[in-house]
Amino acid sequence: MQSAIVKTIFLTLLLAFSLPATAMEPRDIIQDSAHDIFDIINTNRADYEAHPEKLVQLVNDILMPWFDDIYAARLILGRHGRGVPADKIQAFASAMQDLLVQRYANSMLRFKSKDQLQVLKLRGTNTDKLTRVRARIAMDNNQWIPVEYSFHKVGDMWKLFDVTAEGISYIITYRNQIGPMVQADGLDAVTESLRSGTVELADN
Amino acid sequence: MNNKPLQQWLLILFCSLLLSACASNVPISDPENDPWERYNRSVHKFNKTFDKALYKPLASGYNKITPEPIKEVLGNFLNNLAYPNTIINLFLQGQFRNGLTGTGRFLINSTVGIFGIFDVASSAEIPLHDEDFGQTLAVWGWDNSRYFVLPVFGPSTIRDGFGRIGNTYMDPVSYLASKENIWAPWIIDKLHVRVRLMNQEETIESSYDPYIFIRDAWLQNREFKIYNGDPPALDYEAFLEE
Repeated sequence: MQSAIVKTIFLTLLLAFSLPATAMEPRDIIQDSAHDIFDIINTNRADYEAHPEKLVQLVNDILMPWFDDIYAARLILGRHGRGVPADKIQAFASAMQDLLVQRYANSMLRFKSKDQLQVLKLRGTNTDKLTRVRARIAMDNNQWIPVEYSFHKVGDMWKLFDVTAEGISYIITYRNQIGPMVQADGLDAVTESLRSGTVELADN
Repeated sequence: MNNKPLQQWLLILFCSLLLSACASNVPISDPENDPWERYNRSVHKFNKTFDKALYKPLASGYNKITPEPIKEVLGNFLNNLAYPNTIINLFLQGQFRNGLTGTGRFLINSTVGIFGIFDVASSAEIPLHDEDFGQTLAVWGWDNSRYFVLPVFGPSTIRDGFGRIGNTYMDPVSYLASKENIWAPWIIDKLHVRVRLMNQEETIESSYDPYIFIRDAWLQNREFKIYNGDPPALDYEAFLEE
């Protein structure tokens, strides 16, 4: 009695356990997660258009296991993060990640075809510790936006920590906004206002 | 001759801004790239007022009354008309191959694309470059230049301010306006620039400090263009300490 639901659950579990275990190359991580997300949206497009909040869950499940939220948070905080207890960094990192996913998730609906994201060949300096995956994304008006995903190696796994669009880095952009806020109000207050959505941060 | 009053007016404006800048007392957030932050902030403020009062309403009006296909055709035409600026600067930077492809792009769009109103070169996957004289000055060695907000024109550096003077000779759209007094292409181009910014407006305005956001985004994007999309990797490890 292999119903479709059981099969789906089984496959999802298999996916969940098999993916992060293997040491995937950064280019494949971007390519595969983009294709997976696209496939899932495409089979239920009407549902996702009606309930965009489901996209957040989708991005959280597929892309975020690859994201090094703590490292990104430490880069954003810089000297403001030194000597801060790990649980406070974690709280800030989670709040930043939620914000990132919320912004990122809605734009997934703009993908109408798999060819809208092209992963390009590696260029420039790439070491066995740090690498930049180059890609380009087609916008509605036929223009290509160059995007770069920065990965670093944690143990034997590659983890994503920065995204750059047209040269504008996620880390730098938030860093220069968050720094003065932490200085003025303290980290706890900033984390709290990020979480409650009372403060808006600009991104690209 | 006709733009003399305009120049005088800009000079007066510039001086009054400098004076008002001395009065404010905000800490400087990025002494290395933006030592003139106080002056820059007052020009930024002036530009915002200018935008609200004139630039944005004109651009929204234009956007509303102009049908999409007309905007597309006009946009293509203006991009093509301005393209010699990119071609000349590709050659000035020693990118000869790209200069030749760029010339090909311009010729194809000007003929097959009927004076540039259809961007057939992009459909044929001929790459689109983006160069100007400010970038050429950077390639020639003026790679670090302080941030400098221009009245009306917005984000710039000292270098790119000088670059603009070069552009008035190399960019047919600016040349027609400043030397031949044919302003229509220049004005429509500036309206298109403003319309394109409308999507990002909300994010910019809702940011913690719009001035810093615009500055940092602009400087990063400028660096990206100067290095033709391949800027040196960021020193992330240093971020942990700074």
